[in-house]
Amino acid sequence: MIVCVSVVGHQNNPLYIQSFTDADDALKLHHVVHCSLDVIEERVNNPKKSGTTLNEAFLGLLYPTLNYKVYGYLTNTKVKFILVTTDLDVRDTDVRNFFRKFHAAYVDAVSNPFHVPGKKITSRTFAQTVSNIVGSYGLN
Amino acid sequence: MEPDVSIETPSIIRIAVLPIGTIPPPLLRDYHSMLLRHHTIALSAISSFYTEHQKSPFTNQPWESGSLRFKFVLGGSPPSPWEDFQSNRKILAVIGLCHCPSSPDLVSVTESFNVACRSYSSALVRRCFAFCPGDSQLEDGDKKGENLILFPPSDKQTQEFHLQTMMQDIAASLLMEFEKWVLKAESAGTILKTPLDSQASLNSEEVIKAKKRRLGRAQKTIGDYSLLAGSPVDANAHYSTALELARLTGDYFWYAGALEGSVCALLVDRMGQRDVALEDEVRYRYTNVILHYRKSFIQEIAQRVSPLSFELEATLKLARFLCRRELAKEVVELLTNAADGAKSLIDAKLGYQRKAAFFCRQVAQLYLQQDNRLAAISAMQVLFMTTDAYRIQSRASVSKVSVNNETGTRQPDAGKMHHHSIVSLFESQWSSLQMVVLREILLSAVRAGDPLAAWSAAARLLRWHYPLITPSGQNGLASSLANSADRLPSGTRCADPALPFVRLFSFPLHSSQVDIVKRNPAREDWWTGSAPSGPFIYTPFSKGDANESSKQELIWVVGEPVQVLVELANPCCFDVDIPPNSAKVITLSGIPTAVGPVTIPGCTVHCFGVITEHVFRDVDNLLLGAAQGLVFSDPFRSCGSAKLRHVFVPNISVVPPLPLLVANVVGGDGAIILYEGEIREVCINFANAGTVPIEQAHVSLSGKNQDAVISIADEALQSALPLKPGAQVTLPVTLKAWHVGPVDSDNAVGGGRNAGETQEDQKTELALHCLFTMQVQIWPVSNNGDPQEKESVVPPGRRLVVPLQICVLQGLSFVKARLLSMEIPAHVGDNLRDEDIETESNTDRLVKINPFRGSWGLRFLELELSNPTDVVFEISVFVQLEKSAKEDDSSPVQDSPEYEYPKTRIDRDYSARVLIPLEHFKLPVLDGSFFTKDPPPGTPSSSRHPSFSEKNTKAEINGLIKNLISKIKVRWQSGRNSSGELDIKDAIQTALQTTVMDVLLPDPLTFGFRLVRNGSETKAQSPLSKGSVLSHEVTPMEVLVRNNTSEAIKLNLSVTCRDVAGQNCAEGADATVLWAGALSGISMEVAPLQEARHCFSLYFLVPGEYTMVAAAVIEDANNVLRARARTASPNEPIFCRGPPFHVRVTGGEM
Repeated sequence: MIVCVSVVGHQNNPLYIQSFTDADDALKLHHVVHCSLDVIEERVNNPKKSGTTLNEAFLGLLYPTLNYKVYGYLTNTKVKFILVTTDLDVRDTDVRNFFRKFHAAYVDAVSNPFHVPGKKITSRTFAQTVSNIVGSYGLN
Repeated sequence: MEPDVSIETPSIIRIAVLPIGTIPPPLLRDYHSMLLRHHTIALSAISSFYTEHQKSPFTNQPWESGSLRFKFVLGGSPPSPWEDFQSNRKILAVIGLCHCPSSPDLVSVTESFNVACRSYSSALVRRCFAFCPGDSQLEDGDKKGENLILFPPSDKQTQEFHLQTMMQDIAASLLMEFEKWVLKAESAGTILKTPLDSQASLNSEEVIKAKKRRLGRAQKTIGDYSLLAGSPVDANAHYSTALELARLTGDYFWYAGALEGSVCALLVDRMGQRDVALEDEVRYRYTNVILHYRKSFIQEIAQRVSPLSFELEATLKLARFLCRRELAKEVVELLTNAADGAKSLIDAKLGYQRKAAFFCRQVAQLYLQQDNRLAAISAMQVLFMTTDAYRIQSRASVSKVSVNNETGTRQPDAGKMHHHSIVSLFESQWSSLQMVVLREILLSAVRAGDPLAAWSAAARLLRWHYPLITPSGQNGLASSLANSADRLPSGTRCADPALPFVRLFSFPLHSSQVDIVKRNPAREDWWTGSAPSGPFIYTPFSKGDANESSKQELIWVVGEPVQVLVELANPCCFDVDIPPNSAKVITLSGIPTAVGPVTIPGCTVHCFGVITEHVFRDVDNLLLGAAQGLVFSDPFRSCGSAKLRHVFVPNISVVPPLPLLVANVVGGDGAIILYEGEIREVCINFANAGTVPIEQAHVSLSGKNQDAVISIADEALQSALPLKPGAQVTLPVTLKAWHVGPVDSDNAVGGGRNAGETQEDQKTELALHCLFTMQVQIWPVSNNGDPQEKESVVPPGRRLVVPLQICVLQGLSFVKARLLSMEIPAHVGDNLRDEDIETESNTDRLVKINPFRGSWGLRFLELELSNPTDVVFEISVFVQLEKSAKEDDSSPVQDSPEYEYPKTRIDRDYSARVLIPLEHFKLPVLDGSFFTKDPPPGTPSSSRHPSFSEKNTKAEINGLIKNLISKIKVRWQSGRNSSGELDIKDAIQTALQTTVMDVLLPDPLTFGFRLVRNGSETKAQSPLSKGSVLSHEVTPMEVLVRNNTSEAIKLNLSVTCRDVAGQNCAEGADATVLWAGALSGISMEVAPLQEARHCFSLYFLVPGEYTMVAAAVIEDANNVLRARARTASPNEPIFCRGPPFHVRVTGGEM
């Protein structure tokens, strides 16, 4: 189950962060997302070590925390997508699919002429799309 | 890694203690502390609860001496990924605590307990303790399943006993569960993994490897459980097997784990017996443990997971074990190693700043769970390590950090490190995290008793996150700021500013209109050009560069007060000297003390009892961020202040002391109120308020209505120079108020600024710019001889602008002017030109009329004036006579050319008329020069009209009128010191326009009559009446004809005499006057400007009043005469008539 998705901007500024749990663990998830930026920075700065190719937006598993797994995705504009899931058994393809859809939704959201780049995404349509994507995650 | 680890930790069973339902916090604490007493349960005590279902795998259980040990984790903890590796990390039991009075429904209690247990899948035993149940609950309780245990209300001792029993029961149950688990593990062969193992599916080679390792790991885990079950001997046996197997399969991590377990087993076994040998053994084995943990470090997955924390934990465990005075050095070494290791975990070398910060915060939270001061200090210190990662560092540490990171090579982060830069605002958006950490720092600082840290944390929290804090939260922070400040000594400084937000508002350019002017030593009048010329202070035509540079540079003078305006905003809901949610502009002032450039980076604010430095640039960045939408809100905008405005910060330089001139208008600085036309002398006091004498001064005027200043007594100022410090000089300035009316429409514009005034008084500002150029003597006297050096550095001059505000009130208002004529017949007397009379008339008032001469065609200018003001005016008329108008210039009397008429008083709201006689303006000669050019000789008559072209005539007349008008002055006086002149020239001009010729030009001929008597006779009769004529007596008379023109005139004179009824009494049948000599048809020629006389005699038959009139027809009149007579055709005879002369005939000696 996906518990949290987040968009983090070019300057590591949070643009969108949404948790999908009933419990009151938003702060914990904020921390998880914030910490995962370390790993993303590491990967971006040392692409050889981590083995990812330059053209690959999907960063793979960033790190497992106590009970979450965190996946990352980096767009060409250095906007980061972060996915936090509680599933222990995660198929890479599922995550890739998720990020692809999520990226499309993000592009739609920032193409809105009323969106100010660098500002938090407040679009309700985006939120709706994201929750649809999260809901459909892992179903097929 | 946990803060309270020790070597014996692996033998302690973790029990999660969860509050179920609502429990008041003090009660929860009580229940928890009751549990804490049962952290160790002796095996001997649980035997009664223990039933051996199968043969126990713990064959060497020390039933007499052993015990089970518990650790109660209040609130539980999330499952650890390492719990397979170290079974003591598992939550092995869950105890729910329930306070029955606050959760009456036991069914829901059971349900929520079950829900809570769900997240602890590793728990083998679950119990819910319900305290203080009611009677009904007691009845129901039995049916609610075995996990719910009700503690009937009783005294404390009974309750504790009950609890002890229950804990023993739990211990027994756990023991039995452990046995079951071990038996299962031995037979089934569980797969045990750690995060260090590959997460992906294994390949074939790895499968074989894993199978081999499986046995060793299983043995290690069984050893763990044996240790937890309180059987160290069994544990040791299993660990030995595990060590053997792990070494064979190269499973270093598990080898280290088993070795750690074996040390724990050793210590538990030898409980209470410590000796050197044991210590050496522990030290030896633990060194090995640390070594193997280090060995198990796998480079490939170091990003993801690392056994580093286990290495550190082992180091800390050993250090804690060895921690005694004798071994201080060793412990210090260990701890240093641990610290280095910890640093490497936290250090940016790994790039895991945020993760490290996260862990630090977790550690701090653990510390904060212990409610004591030392733990709070530790928590605070740990939290301080996180501030960089969360961008909430105190400004005190920022300077160091930014310098350190300046050399960093991490390009994408390069900008991020500058806290002040706009970029840092980006990462400052993790406000939820930042607020939590700041709040924890505040909490820990309060607990730790560090008021400054608490103040700083509260200030940061409030300043950067106020939009996200509820009003009550803001008030809470305000009170914690105040509380912290109470504990701080007064005058404490803190690097972190709290409220309010401060930004630059403006720099007042110069106080009291004192301007500094650069001096050009090459020019004598260096001030010209620097002074604003014209009515505007800013002229668009002046050079742009000069304007720019003057804007960018601000000169302050040592010793003179300066001001800076700043705007403060308080966006919070409490009062900080500024009301909530408001902003205000205040003035900061100071006195420069040293020469040199000055920058104003910020200001110091004493707020909430602490002095802080507010840097303007920070706020500017914040506002910029707000404008770009990066920050929540602009504190100034939310306070209703204007939006982001760019304040130009000039380069400020401080110059050595300059003379300072202070001016004040004597009688108050308010507007000088003048009535129209008023002339008044105003004194302006100048005082040198500086410390340097003024050597040079120059006064000039600028601005509108400069004409209003008639004179400035500049010499008064010049004579006072050099003006020593503290000296004063008074400069009289004479002002004349201008005319208020439609003519001065531009004045009205100037007065429009004071719209609130009545329409009648228009306020107009007149700025008297006194330019004071000051030469300052700053060199020693000996250097004065060296002009070169003196010119090389010229101190600037200064300009003082003294605004003179003049308010002109409408004074006397002019209603209309009329020309009146008055005719007073003359009496025929002995002497027409009596010198005495003439002299008398000169010295006396002009209106005095000589009765013998009469006043024919006397004209008066009547001015009607009204006084709409509320003061009384006195009007006096002065007429200036040209000297040339008099024939004898030598007369000393005529040196005073002005004549004053009696004063006319006009009360308020009244009108009055003033008469001005226009008698003495007649020109002495009527000649052609007045009528401009002579007509061409060819057309002497017919071309007369065209020759006097209208234009020329008009111009001449206007010139004459002006000349005439300028001689008439109407002055007024009101009160003691208000006096002025009425400006009525225009009115007089219109009144005189038509009749000016009659006023100015003399008639060509003037006539006069007089009696001719013998000297004796005259004298004899003189007592009777000087000019009387007796009836029945021959009265010789003569008529005098004077030619006023410059050419000889031929004329035909006739004289008539009329009686009272107007009948010609010298002719006809019933004539009452007999005459001798010619009375009509007398032809004579009068030389220019000469008189001719014609004698005749009259014999009056009847006494009474008679009128003598002389008339003449001019023959061969020239053009001048025709023009004067305004004849219509050239052939028309020109007829001149003299004024009537009265003759009183008294009855003679009949």
